[in-house]
Amino acid sequence: MTDDGYPDALPRGYHLHWYLLERVLGQGGFGITYLARDTNLDQRVAIKEYLPTEVARRRDDASVRARTEEHDERYRWGLERFIREARTLARFDHPNIVRVLSVFEFNNTAYMVMRFEEGSNLAAILEQRRTLPEGELLRILPPILDGLELVHNAGFIHRDIKPDNIHIRADGSPVLLDFGSARQPVGHSPSMTILVAPGYAPFEQYYSSGESQGPWTDIYGLGATCYRAISGVAPMDAIARSKGVLGSAREVLVPAKTVGAGRYSERLLAAIDHALEFAERDRPQSIAEWRRELPGAAEQPEARPAVAQPSQAPSGESPAPAVAGAPQRAALGRGWPFWVAVGAVVALIALAVAMRFYKLEPTPPQETPEQLQKRLAKLEQQMADDRKRQADALKQQQDEERKRQDEQQKSEQERQRQLKAQAEAERKQQEELARRQKLAQQADAERKRREAQTRKLQEQQRQPEKAPQQTAPSARPAPSPPAELLAKADHDYAAGKYADAVAALKPLAEGGNAGAQRNLARAYAQGHGVAKDAAVAASWYRKAALQGNSTAQLELGGMYANGRGVPQNDFEAYVWYSAAARCGSAAAKAQQERIAKTLQPMEIAQAGKLVANLPPCAAGSQ
Amino acid sequence: MLPEGIGGLGMERGMPKSFVVRRCARLCVILLALVSGCVTERDKISAMEDVSSAFRVEYEHILAEDGTHTYDVSRDEAFEALRVAFGRLGMQLADQSPDLGYLSVYAPAPMPLTRDEWRQAAQADLPKMREIAAHHVGLLSWFVAFEPEGLNIVVNATAIKVRGGTAISLTMRMRETAPPKSGYPRREYAPPTGVRMGLRKIWTAIELELPPSSRRVP
Repeated sequence: MTDDGYPDALPRGYHLHWYLLERVLGQGGFGITYLARDTNLDQRVAIKEYLPTEVARRRDDASVRARTEEHDERYRWGLERFIREARTLARFDHPNIVRVLSVFEFNNTAYMVMRFEEGSNLAAILEQRRTLPEGELLRILPPILDGLELVHNAGFIHRDIKPDNIHIRADGSPVLLDFGSARQPVGHSPSMTILVAPGYAPFEQYYSSGESQGPWTDIYGLGATCYRAISGVAPMDAIARSKGVLGSAREVLVPAKTVGAGRYSERLLAAIDHALEFAERDRPQSIAEWRRELPGAAEQPEARPAVAQPSQAPSGESPAPAVAGAPQRAALGRGWPFWVAVGAVVALIALAVAMRFYKLEPTPPQETPEQLQKRLAKLEQQMADDRKRQADALKQQQDEERKRQDEQQKSEQERQRQLKAQAEAERKQQEELARRQKLAQQADAERKRREAQTRKLQEQQRQPEKAPQQTAPSARPAPSPPAELLAKADHDYAAGKYADAVAALKPLAEGGNAGAQRNLARAYAQGHGVAKDAAVAASWYRKAALQGNSTAQLELGGMYANGRGVPQNDFEAYVWYSAAARCGSAAAKAQQERIAKTLQPMEIAQAGKLVANLPPCAAGSQ
Repeated sequence: MLPEGIGGLGMERGMPKSFVVRRCARLCVILLALVSGCVTERDKISAMEDVSSAFRVEYEHILAEDGTHTYDVSRDEAFEALRVAFGRLGMQLADQSPDLGYLSVYAPAPMPLTRDEWRQAAQADLPKMREIAAHHVGLLSWFVAFEPEGLNIVVNATAIKVRGGTAISLTMRMRETAPPKSGYPRREYAPPTGVRMGLRKIWTAIELELPPSSRRVP
């Protein structure tokens, strides 16, 4: 039941009530989004299907079921969240928030029907253009802020703001998509609850404390999206930043002020940097606050943002309460859980690295801060060494690859040179044979003329003697018939008379002449005088190769190496290259060495025995 | 009262016990994620390279002992026996060159072994494999497993005329057809016990196709 590349998706043409599925728009860990047609209203819609592949799978009857009984509870819980979230989103009617039209249960799962928005994804636009000018960025940002403010005021946060979730309509207006995906269901799974978009998620999302998340969490995502739009790259991941903040690494985010200096207004860059502050308490606390920092905003007196308290969230069904207890935490020093988590993460990194090196030892309870500092420094050094080793290995790998490519190119050039030299030698040989043939014909004609003269003279003398039966010796001995035919065929081939050449080569090749077999193979390989047929070419090359013709062996090796006319087979390629190399072909030797790297030593030994069993090189086969 | 040391993690005495438990559970989750996260692709590759090297040594030793048999038959007879024997074992022809004396066959792993035989081979070889991998990936070596899925077993066979008969040689390799589920890179060399069992099955099948008493030199 698949759309290409989406094995779990429902098939095209599938009916979900009056919605006809047209194609898959995308798939994430929690579901699949389809483009569909509402056959009642005759309009396109986007339908999101709840299908968390970690705990559920599609069955043959198209229904979705939990993978095991143990997963069933999690699946049901997630399904309820999905439906509740759709109902919540349906309440927002804002031009810059994706419009949810309906939600329904079917196939033992649920479907959220949304308005389909034509246009392009901001991520795709940035991928193509790398950066956006300030004017364009400031046309996108305010409508998104308006929509998001509405969401925040209702007591929700998005949690997954990134360029992929901002859609730009054909008229240039933006729309925010995919609400709640970062807090999607299946809540008991640790891998799910900390599912975040690296670079766009602030640190508080990594330790998943709902209490420490709020509008500032979405503001970080917006700041990161702006950073991406001005610099061409996403900001450094918050976990990596945490090391820099703690001084355990030199990885510190380059501020927007530096990245965008001279290209963007200082006010915009300062606002981005403020949104990207590491600690949540240092960021703007509301959309309204941040909006005032952006260019074009009128200076206003500082005011507490109007953010809904959890009690304001609709009837207790909030998937993401926005600012529970925020003012209290501000008063008490909001960051302490954050610093606890930072400390824990660093300690755990150290622990994990230690385990990796099998040096896990319980930390002595009496360890002093200096000792701890030393131990961390040592681990940091190990990590740095690791990174250096990996970089060196990568560089070495790249060098080897470059070297291999150079060698391959050289050997290919050598092969081409040899083939050219061979063709030239053959051409000269053919010319010489043609010249000799011509001389022989002239001699023959002269002989016949003399005979005729003799006969005439004899008749004149009325002597009844018969003309001698033996012919007069020619200028040189006549070539043997196969060699003569082969030479003629080669001459024809060189002259472009391919059909004549092939007609002459066929009987010779079938009679076992290795040279004719090789040349007939070439005709088939090139499609000269016969229909191009690599398989037939390979069979004639094989016959010649088995007789020790090194050119045929080299060509056959190439066909096996590339799978042309025969199954791709490095082993057999190696056999034939080795056979040709044994006859002195430098090109074959280079290829033999290249292919050897893909074989086991035992396979090389096995191939060597086959080569040793082949007939010796045929004279002049090069 | 809270134990000493928890305070060092930023939690204060007098906090509700359930709160501490929740925090500890959360830290455990992060710990697990970090342990997995700290093993890099390079570590995994190094682990499998070491496993592959160790298996290669044993593989070459096994082939030196049992990789070539000589039979008192013609090369054509030997070649025919190879074709029939591999067919009986359920292996498919990949390439053949009778005039050269070369035959290549393949089958989805664990063939030519049965599932039970593969399990036996895994039981015998897995501890060693994990021991080697542990040097690079630590505790995560417990997630290393023999996965027959996504692998083909490829056998190259040659029949060469020698004095007094025909020498048949076999080599065996694993070829990936789909990425591994475990995330660990594949090895080229099959586990040694699997190689031994596979070779034994193949020789038995070949000898069934040859005249009795034709085997001369092991």
